[in-house]
Amino acid sequence: MSGPGSTSDTVAVAPPAGEPGAKPSLATTLERLSLGRYAGVLVALFGVAIYLTITQDTFLTWDNMKNIIGANSVILVLALGATFVVITAGIDLSTASVMTASSMMLAVAFKSGWDLIPAVLLALAFGSAAGLMNGVLIAKAKISFLAVTLGALSIWQSFALVVQEGQTVSIFSETAFKPIHDLVTNDIGPIPLLLIFDFILVLLAGGLLRYTTLGRSLFAIGSNEEAARLSGINVGTVLIAVYTLAGLAAGLACLISVGRLTAGAPTPDPNLLLTVLAAVLIGGTSFTGGVGGIFGTVIGVVFLGVVQNGLTLSNVSSFWQGIVSGSILIIAVGLGVLRERGWSVRRARGASAAVTEGPVR
Amino acid sequence: MTQPEGSEGVTDRPLIAVEGITVLFPGVVALSEVDFSIRAGEVHALTGENGSGKSTLARVINGSVKPAAGTIFVEGEPTEIKNPRQGLDLGIVNISQELTLAQDLSVAENIFLGRLPTTAGRVAWSQLRRDAREVLERIGVDVSESAIVGGLNVELQQMVEIARAFSSPARLLILDEATSSLSEQATRRLLQLVEEHRAKGVAILMISHRMPELYAAASVATVLRDGHLVGTVPLPDTPEKKLVSMMVGRELDDYYNKREVAQGECVLEVEELSSHDGVLRPTSLRVNRGEIVGVAGLVGSGKAELGLALGGAVPCQGKVSVAGREVSLGDPRKAIAGGVGFVPDDRKRSAILPNRSVAENFSIAWVRRLSRKGMMNLRSERKLVSEAIRRYRVVTASASSVVTTLSGGNQQKVVLGRTFERDVEVLILSEPTRGVDVGAKSEIYDLLQTAAEGGAGIVLISSELPELLGIADRIVVFYGGEIKAEFKGRDMQEEAIAHVAVTGASSDAPTQTPQEGAQ
Repeated sequence: MSGPGSTSDTVAVAPPAGEPGAKPSLATTLERLSLGRYAGVLVALFGVAIYLTITQDTFLTWDNMKNIIGANSVILVLALGATFVVITAGIDLSTASVMTASSMMLAVAFKSGWDLIPAVLLALAFGSAAGLMNGVLIAKAKISFLAVTLGALSIWQSFALVVQEGQTVSIFSETAFKPIHDLVTNDIGPIPLLLIFDFILVLLAGGLLRYTTLGRSLFAIGSNEEAARLSGINVGTVLIAVYTLAGLAAGLACLISVGRLTAGAPTPDPNLLLTVLAAVLIGGTSFTGGVGGIFGTVIGVVFLGVVQNGLTLSNVSSFWQGIVSGSILIIAVGLGVLRERGWSVRRARGASAAVTEGPVR
Repeated sequence: MTQPEGSEGVTDRPLIAVEGITVLFPGVVALSEVDFSIRAGEVHALTGENGSGKSTLARVINGSVKPAAGTIFVEGEPTEIKNPRQGLDLGIVNISQELTLAQDLSVAENIFLGRLPTTAGRVAWSQLRRDAREVLERIGVDVSESAIVGGLNVELQQMVEIARAFSSPARLLILDEATSSLSEQATRRLLQLVEEHRAKGVAILMISHRMPELYAAASVATVLRDGHLVGTVPLPDTPEKKLVSMMVGRELDDYYNKREVAQGECVLEVEELSSHDGVLRPTSLRVNRGEIVGVAGLVGSGKAELGLALGGAVPCQGKVSVAGREVSLGDPRKAIAGGVGFVPDDRKRSAILPNRSVAENFSIAWVRRLSRKGMMNLRSERKLVSEAIRRYRVVTASASSVVTTLSGGNQQKVVLGRTFERDVEVLILSEPTRGVDVGAKSEIYDLLQTAAEGGAGIVLISSELPELLGIADRIVVFYGGEIKAEFKGRDMQEEAIAHVAVTGASSDAPTQTPQEGAQ
């Protein structure tokens, strides 16, 4: 190994960061958390938060924080599912419609006197089944994911209207519904239950990406589907699983939506789908596939939520909010592209110092 | 440009010169204070191992990579080449080893991309087709000008890329491993083109580690090692051994180091295997444990499809048995479960996960072994990956580096390593040393033989005859989708094999019949 010029010793293979014995430096810790790639959005988030704290007395109050959590939990849960799909270089345009259709199913179930557990299982199963259908059409029938999920968007939106002929189904007085209402409105001590619910889902989703074979397969397929296939990954099964998970996320999101509205509404917020996808993108998950993560998506959701909240507190007309969040999306993704370029230069400088030290020892 | 009367257009002043070029990549100093110059009418070889910085230097010269330090001189004038577009305007054309064709466009459009003939702002399609036809005929590429590039195999794509470069008004042509996916015949044609253009005063920078080509074409060779300039020497006056030792920093006596491996029983039995698209016609083949069977043939002869069929990558019919058990065809997972390890020929398209880490590129093939009930064992993954990085001598800043920051040869070591570390009885390797340097090649041959010693049967599909002659125990030759001849022992002669590959018929019949080979 020590012969002059033998390939193995000319460029030392650095031990992987965080190997036992070597105490990870702050930089490697940050890198392992992938905080580096989120630095821009995080700085912007803190900037906005500080500005709002100074200018709006009500911003940094616990009640307002709860507002933000309440208003963005649906987006968060949908965005978790969308993150999986986007990592495989796909996209699920039907997610908001599936959620709306599931809400109607849930509300109708309560209205018809179903118990809590069967009604919730129905909503989750409904969302998952809608996702499963997307997955099968995409993976087995090989129809483009854009065509399938665009079609599904239209179908489920229409379905939600058909169920009760466009009527909103109010279930405020149904006793079986009470626990769901509590989930959305009650606190444990100072902590909203909803925040705990969100937190658990985020942990599960993050754990799935990092610790499971499914997570690995998602990244591999998004990065190079043919290489993944030849490496023995069952691409079809994984794709079906991923769209089913996105459907399940829609089912979970409908619980929050119905809980907040105390009703099943047949028409969703028209911006919901766009906000979900924007949050995923702002969080650094790439639409070309193979890159991204749950942590980024959480940051993306929080950022858009805080900005939205700030606009409301500042009495900016809601007509303006689309312009603001659209601009943020473009700027955030644009900065991401710039950072990718600048980043390699900075890292090379650091690395060159390390490599030039190499031969001396 | 006007070329003076001078002997075949060689001038004194360099066309392009670089001084003190330093390039930094994540974790690696790609080039360190390199000086280099090339004259008009000169064929200059640039050589060195993988990761030595050859391609990087080429990309600095054509403007794709901005150096951290150093100056580029164009005809003596310090010039900043900001991007490849500006490089093109200066007449610098780079044919890179990674194909850069527009996959969904036709051959004609690709050849004239960026300079489509127009009349009144509209593309003159008939003229485009005519011009493309003419270029293809002149270059000698047998492909329709209206074929869609994405449907062509790697060699034809490479030839289209070459046609594009040689039909452009270039002053400096950079051929970066341009022959790596070419058959011997196409390579000879390329070398003729190089000589024609050199005589017209074009400077040609040939990046390659194929010695015969360098000695046939170049008059000067510059050697890089680990991003440093080792030296510039005249060719063919410098002996090959000397040049190789400059590249690897040590003497490499026998490049192949062929070892005698005792053969065991038959481990791979292929009966009447044919692909649905008809490129591979019913083919039978037997491989013993410990045996390396070379598969030769031109592009389109069916040899690549044999690999794809055995690897389960394409739908096909026939019967394949591994160690006596029949393996179902047409599904990579079943091939893997049956003990077949397959390395495809197109690394970028079908092997590498481009934006993932080195570690994930290894472990993607080990997911089953590294997991239990769907959960990955990250600790054993880290351990296995760092062992594999050491064993396969992958030069990388760390296991978490993105794989595309590695040189082509090191990416290939990752692909081979992850396949070799699997539970395999049979290895199907398609062009495993394509675009891989001398030192790494030698390592790969060693790995192959170690696998053979371990009892694996190996099918080595290669367009490089010297490689097959050096490492294989037996060579079968494909022509027109079928095995036309088989050579063994003393009969494995380059001319005879090339003759079958080109014509489909044995040159002097009785000694090389398949019967004799199979005995």
